[in-house]
Amino acid sequence: MPEPGITHCTLGEALIHQIARTIEDGIVAFHGFGSPLVQMALHLAKRTHAPRLALVAGATYGVNPTPPFLAPTSNDWVMSQGAECHLSIEELFDLAASGWLGRMFLSGLQIDPYGNLNASRLGRERLALKLPGGGGGCNLAADAGRVTIWTAAHRAPPDGKGRRRFRLVETCDFVTSLGHRSADGRTRAQLGHLGRGPDWIVTELGVFDFDESGRARLAARYPDVTVDEIRENTGFAFAVRPDLAVASLPAPDAVSFIRGLDPLRVHERELRPEDRTRRFEVKG
Amino acid sequence: MFVEPDKRVDLPGLVAHVREGDCVAIGGGLSSREPMAVLRELIRQGAGGLKLVGSAHGIDVDLLCGAGLVAECGESYVGFEQDFGMAPNYRRACESGRVAARDSCCYTLVQQLRAAIMGLPFLPLRSVRGTDFMDLHPEYKTMTCPYSGEELLLAPALRPDVAILHVQYGDARGNLRIEGPPVADILFARASRKVIATVERLVPGEQLAEMGVTIHYFYVTALAEAPGGAHPTACYPFYAYDRGHTAEYYRWAAAGAEPFRAGYLKPYVNDCPTQAAYLEAIGGPTAMERLASWQAGAEAWSALYA
Repeated sequence: MPEPGITHCTLGEALIHQIARTIEDGIVAFHGFGSPLVQMALHLAKRTHAPRLALVAGATYGVNPTPPFLAPTSNDWVMSQGAECHLSIEELFDLAASGWLGRMFLSGLQIDPYGNLNASRLGRERLALKLPGGGGGCNLAADAGRVTIWTAAHRAPPDGKGRRRFRLVETCDFVTSLGHRSADGRTRAQLGHLGRGPDWIVTELGVFDFDESGRARLAARYPDVTVDEIRENTGFAFAVRPDLAVASLPAPDAVSFIRGLDPLRVHERELRPEDRTRRFEVKG
Repeated sequence: MFVEPDKRVDLPGLVAHVREGDCVAIGGGLSSREPMAVLRELIRQGAGGLKLVGSAHGIDVDLLCGAGLVAECGESYVGFEQDFGMAPNYRRACESGRVAARDSCCYTLVQQLRAAIMGLPFLPLRSVRGTDFMDLHPEYKTMTCPYSGEELLLAPALRPDVAILHVQYGDARGNLRIEGPPVADILFARASRKVIATVERLVPGEQLAEMGVTIHYFYVTALAEAPGGAHPTACYPFYAYDRGHTAEYYRWAAAGAEPFRAGYLKPYVNDCPTQAAYLEAIGGPTAMERLASWQAGAEAWSALYA
């Protein structure tokens, strides 16, 4: 039952709702590690519009778990409590390689307009910043039926010298996982990958889909963000859908479910401090 | 195959199986079942120049990088997830060039290990093509499939010199039982030339057989009992992830290479000649009892992470 009197949601809750909306009922979907917004979104989707979702938890490989709360790290027995069964690492990736994984969720420090992601390094010739790495993203981006890309750090405020370090960039310094075309211009079809590539980029400023050429296109903005603001904070030119929407927000009972599952507010660790205070009015 | 009836050794005897320059597969994953006691002993003994391979890791790889034992790193991820973020020692080591960053991906690693397990020179994949991993790994090749005509990636067999595991139960012969996610441990054990393991509890062989064996004794070179051997990562059901100790580790690692040596390596690794001394240093039985309190229910469990 919803807590009485939920009138507003946080940005984190709105992001969880937006990611959950990309998840189809009846598919096998997997969340990786280090992605509490996605973990929450899969549980929310299964609890709402996708009850037949086969939810595979990242790191534990538990299937359809019912964790009592969200743990701060993903390979914790908390996250596989109540699981109906467990996959092994090879079974999960074999499922993807043979075309059975419906959707995967990936992010990176750089995202280009074709949905290529960099989770490996900044600096092309010289290694300027070593990132943690992409886990299984390189494999799953090619093999999963669809990919939802997300980031809670789209905004790129100028530094003291007026320069912006974009999260959404024209070109990635390193391609960890493939979007719709490789750096040398080959398409997924030419490469013969099974998956159809990313269809959504969910950020804290808006939501993009992809046009026929595989380029990101703005589909929705949050109520407190303008299209101009999104352009300023994006390192590549993008088209805006003629039916540009204001991003939908979670229902009060969805907000209540999120708060119940994540009492430690682990998902807010993905958000920047200034975004943790954003609030949106929700309607029952 | 390793068929000696009694493979029990102490920690120094265990790490004597790791040689300078070895390719090492560390078991466990992220904040769970990392063989930390073995890694601390390895640092005290000092076999360096290691080439690490694995999937998703954190404090284990970061600790070895901070101690200067790593020459090359081929993991798919090294970090502290959203809990603390990037791995400071790993980053410094890669960015300074002391560690060659040779990142891998989970399925590529799985296929390479399975090729070794099957005695094949390689296994194919469709993925990876179209990414920059192709340049990072010149050993990956492509071929046109003689059956389907499609282009495939070939990843060569990977046979680590030694796999280092920490599991819940084992017997004197080296049978091992893992509870919860095995991550890549079973693949590592089957693919590696040697397997060294610590266990929370040594139990009689008949008891282990009844509980169920995860890794057969003939893969295992030597093992030692090391209660608390995964700390500060979790080894359920015995203890949960020690978030407080990990936060302390992270503060020292983030402060720089020298502060990390003085503030973390000295008190918790070099000044602790044994695992028992380490357990005293981290707070003795009270600390471990607190981490076992997750069993009291969700409220006690989440309180450990608040």
